[in-house]
Amino acid sequence: MSTYVIRRIIYMLLTLLGASMLIFFLYALTPGDYVDNNMNMTEQRKAELREIYGLNKPLVERYTAWLGNVLEGDFGYSLQHQKPIMTLFNHYIWNSFLLAAVSTFLTWFIAVVAGVLCAYKSQSIFDKSVTIFIFAAMSIPSFFIGLFFIKLFAVDAGILPPGGMITTGSNAEGWDYVLEVAEHMVLPVLIVTLLGTGSLTRYFRSHMLEAMKQDYVRTARAKGLKERVVLYRHALRNAMLPAITLIGFELPTLFGGSIVIEKIFNWPGIGQLYMQSFTMRDYPLLMGFTMLLAILTVIGTFISDLLYRLADPRVRL
Amino acid sequence: MKKQVLSLFIVLLASSLFTACTSNESKPSTSSAPSTATNSNAGTANSTAQTNTSAAVSTKVTDLGTGVIQASDPSKLPDSAKQRNDTFIAGLTEPSGAFTPHFHQSGYDGNVASVLFAPLVTVDEKGKIVPYLAEKWEISKDQLTYTFHLNKDLKFSDGSPLTAEDVAFTLTILHDKNYDGGTDIFSSHIKGGLAYKEGKASSVAGIKVIDPQTIQIETDQVNATALLTLGGQVLSKAYYGKDYKFGSLEYIRELHAKPVGAGPYKLDKHLPGQELRFTANEHFFKGKPKIERFIYKTTEGDAFQFIETGEQDYAAFSATQDNLDKLQKLGFLNLKLNTSSAYGYISINHKKPYFKDKKLRQALIYGLDRKTIVEGVSQGSAQVANIPTSPTSWSYTEEGINPYHYDPEKAKTLLDEAGWKEGSDGVREKDGQKLVIRYLSSKSKGSDALIAIAKENYTAIGIQFEPEQFADFNALLAKVDGGDYDLASFSTPMLLDPHSGVSGFTTEEAKGYSNPKVDQLIKEGISTLDIEKRKEVYKKLYQELNEDPPYIFYSYSKLLYSYNSRIKGLDPNPYRGIATSLPLTSIE
Repeated sequence: MSTYVIRRIIYMLLTLLGASMLIFFLYALTPGDYVDNNMNMTEQRKAELREIYGLNKPLVERYTAWLGNVLEGDFGYSLQHQKPIMTLFNHYIWNSFLLAAVSTFLTWFIAVVAGVLCAYKSQSIFDKSVTIFIFAAMSIPSFFIGLFFIKLFAVDAGILPPGGMITTGSNAEGWDYVLEVAEHMVLPVLIVTLLGTGSLTRYFRSHMLEAMKQDYVRTARAKGLKERVVLYRHALRNAMLPAITLIGFELPTLFGGSIVIEKIFNWPGIGQLYMQSFTMRDYPLLMGFTMLLAILTVIGTFISDLLYRLADPRVRL
Repeated sequence: MKKQVLSLFIVLLASSLFTACTSNESKPSTSSAPSTATNSNAGTANSTAQTNTSAAVSTKVTDLGTGVIQASDPSKLPDSAKQRNDTFIAGLTEPSGAFTPHFHQSGYDGNVASVLFAPLVTVDEKGKIVPYLAEKWEISKDQLTYTFHLNKDLKFSDGSPLTAEDVAFTLTILHDKNYDGGTDIFSSHIKGGLAYKEGKASSVAGIKVIDPQTIQIETDQVNATALLTLGGQVLSKAYYGKDYKFGSLEYIRELHAKPVGAGPYKLDKHLPGQELRFTANEHFFKGKPKIERFIYKTTEGDAFQFIETGEQDYAAFSATQDNLDKLQKLGFLNLKLNTSSAYGYISINHKKPYFKDKKLRQALIYGLDRKTIVEGVSQGSAQVANIPTSPTSWSYTEEGINPYHYDPEKAKTLLDEAGWKEGSDGVREKDGQKLVIRYLSSKSKGSDALIAIAKENYTAIGIQFEPEQFADFNALLAKVDGGDYDLASFSTPMLLDPHSGVSGFTTEEAKGYSNPKVDQLIKEGISTLDIEKRKEVYKKLYQELNEDPPYIFYSYSKLLYSYNSRIKGLDPNPYRGIATSLPLTSIE
């Protein structure tokens, strides 16, 4: 086990090194750089600025300099924001995390319950109406339903705030603050959950159906176990196994932010920051953010591998 | 619902426009975005009569003057806004958080800085220079030496005095070799500036502090834009200069988030991605602003929902008929139509030998139905441009300017004269070369419309039109730099001085376009500070550029400034946005 862990960690570091190279060169090769954003600058001034920012150096030199700093824990300053990358992340990432964590939890919870019930009552009216509903929900674009809900609940009915994380100018503290943020979260969480639940429900439903056909379920029924026990302890547990892989993939999305939802609801998350930095070619910020996602992805898969072992004794590491 | 989606896009466009204020380094958007035109009676719209008519509520964007349309029913104001009696909330696209003027990298930070800092001089709604921190200035006979006299008892928001030393420090630090901001101090040619940059001198020789209220700046070359550059926002030497050593400016980054300036407000709190809170600056030289708290609510997306629910007091929208109807229906908003100081254009690749012949360029303008495209897409939120200055500017003229109304027959004649004869497949050719025009633009609704109509227009006169659109602005720029194109759509940033609108047409800058008369007139335009003389020069220049076009001038876009009617005294202008009138506003 411990040799496995050590080996995996070495692989992870190599993967990250490869990823960082790939990401760096991809960004560097995208046409246009940070200085090009300003069309009205003379060529001479552009050259001066490239010198100041080090953008005129050969790619390999830029990469090694960047890597060297990162190994020392220094992700550098954002060109556009003039702030350390880590400070910027700290400002935005937790807002994204809050939104993602709550909606991911709700999505999974609803999907598991609905998936199991649909599988158990497969082909029933309930199953069919859930299927129709989730397909309908999945196929509506988020920006459309987002704007529609804002119109419905915030503008016309006036019962929910139209966007943002707090009421503008609010000085709420303590519980008032928590309530205020919760109120502002209702619509975005609702929409992320609505759109995300569909595919997961289908996923659990099909795995559950599969599991229920297995011999061990028949055996459990034959032993005279209660249907609920058969369903949840024997069938669901096995059906959940492949979902562990999915959990690993959820980790980066928890921190990655959602560009569309954040934009519609004016949520101060990191998705917007990333989008902006891409249009501006703010390399330090782009590299920092993409590397963060790469690290989380690698860690996520590692964790799900370990979880597999815990959940399924048949898996030997 | 379709309308809803549509308005999202419009508002996105509008907010990107609106926020490009004050900073001349803000990223230019491509022209096709805010395209559109009102009809030709735009001439009346720019007659600049500042009438505050409240009676005649016009419902057509095209008929709107520049006056304020008063709110029809202020009682419809949502309760949330009524209760907020000490706070004014305006919208702004997310700034980057570097609030030191001259040092910020995003135009939106410039908007924030304009509330916190004060310049020596500013511009009025016509773009004319007026005093601010400087009560007056003198310019020597040879127009090379500027003397600014500051108001007495100026103070920064921390209570420390603002003197000529601070002005001298600000101008000096801009000459540093590692300065990477957007203020081009070298355009004003201060004596000894280059020597300082190269490290050959320990101070800039041309900057002399006469006494705490007076500063004299000597320049090497007459430049009409220098007054605005020299009279920019002032940094405190005691605060921003205490760690300054030549060549090292890193320390200033630590101060970006904690600004100290002489503007009407001071920064209270910055909640990244949400809002910026300001409180009135009791040391402001015109007296403490009446509204105690000011907030920039930062939005990336739609501001309409916040205006509608009263959570936000001020926003600018693209001046489309749809937006006008929606905003007027709310009843509690004052509206004011404003034409942007920028212009949209289609640049011509003068490196291509066939564009040497101005007849071909003229034919491209005559052969394109700009009015239909611009009006069709923008529903009145833009008008056709024919010269490189905005109708709001003092330099604008229509005298002797050919409007190039759509005239395919005329275009055909010009093409014939230029030697492009129709080939067997209907495409014109000359010396065996087909007349194929490659057009580049960013991807937007405006450019979709342009491409659809231009394709039809140009095919009709025997030109093969090959468009290409880019989702990413930098990718478009890279393609243009590559030189493999004929036409490309862009828009200028805000233009404070008419010189900025024409500076790209000189032989050195224009990459292939060369007209000695234009060179001469551009030079003359900045070689005098007399505005009447400059008007004459620019008139001649615009006539020449109209006859020998370096670009296809395309559109001036228009914005609807909308603000809650309980805010009194607000007068947004196309050059400075709300910054100038902000300290004079009050809440009813």
